[in-house]
Amino acid sequence: MDCPTCEAMVDAYVDGELATSESAAFERALEGCPECRRRLEAARTMSGLLRELPAEPAPDLLRARIERELRTIAGASRVRFPGAAMRWSAMAASLLVAVSIGWLGGSLVGQGGRETDELVAGYIRVAMSEHNVDVASSDRHTVKPWFAGRIDYSPPVHDLTPEGFPLVGGRLDVIDGRKVAVLVYRHNQHRIALTLWPSSSSGNAAATIRQHDGFALADWRHDGFEMRAVADISPVEMKAFAIAVDAAVTADR
Amino acid sequence: MGGMSNAPKPDGGTVGRFRSVVLPHLDAAYGYARWLTRDPTDAQDLAQEAMLRALRYFHSFRGEEARPWLLRIVRNTWIDLRKRNGAEKLPLEVLETRAAEGPDPEQSALAGDRRRQVAAALAALPAESREVLVLREIEDLSYKHIAAVLDLPIGTVMSRIARAREKLAVELKGRLERRDHGLPDL
Repeated sequence: MDCPTCEAMVDAYVDGELATSESAAFERALEGCPECRRRLEAARTMSGLLRELPAEPAPDLLRARIERELRTIAGASRVRFPGAAMRWSAMAASLLVAVSIGWLGGSLVGQGGRETDELVAGYIRVAMSEHNVDVASSDRHTVKPWFAGRIDYSPPVHDLTPEGFPLVGGRLDVIDGRKVAVLVYRHNQHRIALTLWPSSSSGNAAATIRQHDGFALADWRHDGFEMRAVADISPVEMKAFAIAVDAAVTADR
Repeated sequence: MGGMSNAPKPDGGTVGRFRSVVLPHLDAAYGYARWLTRDPTDAQDLAQEAMLRALRYFHSFRGEEARPWLLRIVRNTWIDLRKRNGAEKLPLEVLETRAAEGPDPEQSALAGDRRRQVAAALAALPAESREVLVLREIEDLSYKHIAAVLDLPIGTVMSRIARAREKLAVELKGRLERRDHGLPDL
């Protein structure tokens, strides 16, 4: 075998793509060809290094999003899958654990682990459920009054459709033992959960954005409200969302 | 893959078969998407979109191997999304961070400097080299299956892999030298 032939076979040999007879011929040719031996070593090394890279499994959130779509499609055609509900709840449980561990690792500045856990758990309920709001409306004059009598403050509610974040509705959640308002927005196919409550500190604080496992987490204070937003969008989109919220709140004063 | 307009709407039975045949390859789809997009958020969007397309095209699945079939859809979806997003104007800030970003070593929990360097070197390769290595070494596909995913002749796959490994070696060597390391364990 001449060297160009031998050279052309190096990678196929490493990848186990040669027939037995070709492999044997290649190995014989290799003995007389130091340059091809060097190539073989280099190709093997690169292959080995890449195979050492840890596999990155699909995030639970992605799995849950796809699951939600599949259930919607299957549900729309009125066919029930036995066991689907069970799998679903088991997955939701593991998702909560996985996400809270991940979140703690992400360490949101100045936030207790429990509050952030609760926020993420709340977000997952929003993102995963088909009935993800208690009051579904893009009309702030429907959503805002809905909170009256359910919580002890009146959150600012704005539809941000012109900014690319249509209001989907509102829901209640419990953070640190207190009932709080959660506004749900949409950005393309993604849900954004904005949890807000009256602040005990004064002054505004610009949004700090963290990213973890495909979530963007924003933390800021505006016009007397503590704001926490969670979504599976990019940090840049989250920043745009926080700015849109602040602008709407300020314009409404 | 034909047009979508005349595709039958997936029903419950189709979704059930899809769950057992295609859904088990979600990790592979995400892994490939992760290396194509080099961004965890984009990778999730891409994998989700590809999965939904796969369900719509599932009627045309002929019982061949499901993983290459799905990865091919991931790739085509990626190409389509890039075209669509290219038409929009992304803020420069986004483009700059994306260009510099490989998979974040901390986010991917990569252990050890060497693995980090290897991941960064792979992420820095042009898409053509990157994807062929990802399909071969990370997704562990045969040349035949890689050829099916990329819609190329097997001979071309073979020469692309050879070239990509050489590029990776050069890239990695440059990185390690810049960091004042020798090549460890090589």
